[in-house]
Amino acid sequence: MIVIKLIPHAVSWAVIALFLVRGFHAGRLMVIISGSGGFALGALGALVLFRLLPPESAFGIIRGGLGVSLLLLWGVAVMAAYRPFWKRTTYFEGTGFTVMCACLAGCMAGAVSASRLSGSGTSLAPYLALILVGGALASYAGAVEKRIPEWFIVGGPSLAAVVVALLLYGSSLSLRLDLFAPLTMKVMKFAHDFVHQFMESMLIPDHVFIRSNLWKYIGVLFGKEIGFWGALVIWFTPLLLIVYAIQFEPLPSVAHIRQGAERRRLLAVFIHIRRYRLIPALLAVLVLTAAVYRSCVPSVEYWDPKPIVVTATPVGDIFIPRKGDIDLEDGKLHKYLFRQGGKEARFFIIMGPSGKLTVVLDACAICKPDGYGQAEGTVICYYCKTLIPLDTVGRSGGCNPVPLAFSEKDDGVHINAVTLMNEWDNTVQTTTKVKGAGK
Amino acid sequence: MIANIIQTTGLTRSYGDICALKPLDVQVPEGEWLSVMGHSGSGKSTFMNLVGGLDRPSAGSLSVGGEDLLALTEDGLARFRREFIGIIFQQHHLVPYLTAVENVMMAQYFHSVPDEAEARSALERVGLGHRLKNRPGELSGGEQQRVCIARAIINSPKLLLGDEPTGNLDHKSTIMVMELLRELRSEERFTVIMVTHNQEVAAWGDRTIYLDDGVLVRDERANSR
Ligand SMILES: Nc1ncnc2c1ncn2[C@@H]1O[C@H](COP(=O)(O)OP(=O)(O)OP(=O)(O)O)[C@@H](O)[C@H]1O
Ligand SMILES: [Mg+2]
Repeated sequence: MIVIKLIPHAVSWAVIALFLVRGFHAGRLMVIISGSGGFALGALGALVLFRLLPPESAFGIIRGGLGVSLLLLWGVAVMAAYRPFWKRTTYFEGTGFTVMCACLAGCMAGAVSASRLSGSGTSLAPYLALILVGGALASYAGAVEKRIPEWFIVGGPSLAAVVVALLLYGSSLSLRLDLFAPLTMKVMKFAHDFVHQFMESMLIPDHVFIRSNLWKYIGVLFGKEIGFWGALVIWFTPLLLIVYAIQFEPLPSVAHIRQGAERRRLLAVFIHIRRYRLIPALLAVLVLTAAVYRSCVPSVEYWDPKPIVVTATPVGDIFIPRKGDIDLEDGKLHKYLFRQGGKEARFFIIMGPSGKLTVVLDACAICKPDGYGQAEGTVICYYCKTLIPLDTVGRSGGCNPVPLAFSEKDDGVHINAVTLMNEWDNTVQTTTKVKGAGK
Repeated sequence: MIANIIQTTGLTRSYGDICALKPLDVQVPEGEWLSVMGHSGSGKSTFMNLVGGLDRPSAGSLSVGGEDLLALTEDGLARFRREFIGIIFQQHHLVPYLTAVENVMMAQYFHSVPDEAEARSALERVGLGHRLKNRPGELSGGEQQRVCIARAIINSPKLLLGDEPTGNLDHKSTIMVMELLRELRSEERFTVIMVTHNQEVAAWGDRTIYLDDGVLVRDERANSR
């Protein structure tokens, strides 16, 4: 199972290694060694993180590293776009630079791959196996690279684009490492805050004068779409800059060549090569598209139960037995639906890692009430894709599901129907205020 | 010593039973202007097409500009034609709906990349500076043939082949075309092979060979000019 999970990471590491070898001219062996060394470092580093820190912080650090590589790509892309003669600069050559880049790329790839092992404990053996496989793949990629035709040229910016795209693809395969979903949330919040600030600064009280059809337009700025598109812009702009930089790289100066045919032939060769040099950059665009797709349609199997309809006794007591048709102690999320007076409310019950039952609303205080599913030691908010570790379910705040008062008696859970309806109304009222667009 | 740009031994081309070119041994030194004469069906065009890489021999060896044409692949042959050969035919083979400049630029395009300024100056060189934007239909036969010359030399070929380029022209236009070719050759120093029926045209060359039924029957060096 774990091996299957690791296959895409192995493939992308092999491709990264191949591009590193092709992109750097400093010598195949050196690139392979520094790349594999980096891979080992990254994998062991991840192991250390998982041993020392709670999983959320460990994943957070790796995700931070990925974020930094995206920033680096931005830097490279802007420089490439401003600096058409990228090739001519000498800052980005030399052995030291090559070793550093290969090592860093390997390190990130190693950490991302190793993070997939975190689910199965922190013993050293699987990590060592991963490192060995990583080294073998890098050497194999080095051998394969020899067979790739000469014309397949990988320039500096394209190399950066491919490597970062593959890293982000790897991270998109794991809910906890995925960068894109949190990025969409950030962008969305930013747009949201921006509109509020803007209205405040213009002294427009934003909920009084604005009519509902105006909200239809402003609502766009609050919606999930703005987050999605904004994040797309942040992801793809560097790649587009790089494609632009390659496509519009100035033609070489041929004015000194007297014979027209010879002059034109040189230009034709340059244009021809330039076209080939676009291939890696376009490949990176494809890979990143796949990453976005994976992030929006995660392949993780959610435990996503259909809500079970429950009723209350005349005094307003909802009772759910611990071991009825459904075993509340099985560690899974159990969702319920309660209807009263034409309104309905959802909640779920789950047994946390500590062995205690928790009852929470199927909604949080900030998102549209799309509800939660369960995945890998967490519950996930369907709306913002935030992962809530199981041991924090039952605490309030942020995107945590809103806790609900309950009591345990008669070997079951008792919930007060009025409390439930009130909590639900209060929560949902604030989060659906912006006409259906969510907040 | 001047190297031979063309060297054939036992060069043969047959179409089924018909042997259009019997085993032929010819050497053409670099820079020479060779006229090829012979009656109709004697194999002149066949010879030219082989030398120009438009056709492949049935037997024998053929080296042009140091390239062994028999050893080249189709792609190699195409590159050879593109970079080494310029051809002028009796029929002009210009694209009717393109202007003179565009016709020349088309040859540039197939060679590498088009360059309009260079195409214009090539047409100016053949004396058509005032007819750049005319289509072939709007040009006289002699002018059309001069567009063809501009097109043939635009990629700086080492070898210029002419298959009766003046066959359709009157005396005056013929003289103009021949003079133009001579002038261009003295500047660009390409080798010329010119197939013709016309003794007078053949006399512009340094040397004339006569084919008869695919056999080289006479090889004359011009003593004057
Ligand atoms: N594609 C072909 N298929 C069959 N026979 C051919 C082919 N091309 C040429 N021939 C024959 O080869 C012989 C030589 O033809 P070629 O075109 O070389 O003559 P030529 O000297 O150029 O004549 P002309 O002066 O009329 O142009 C002719 O008998 C012709 O019929
Ligand atoms: Mg003929």
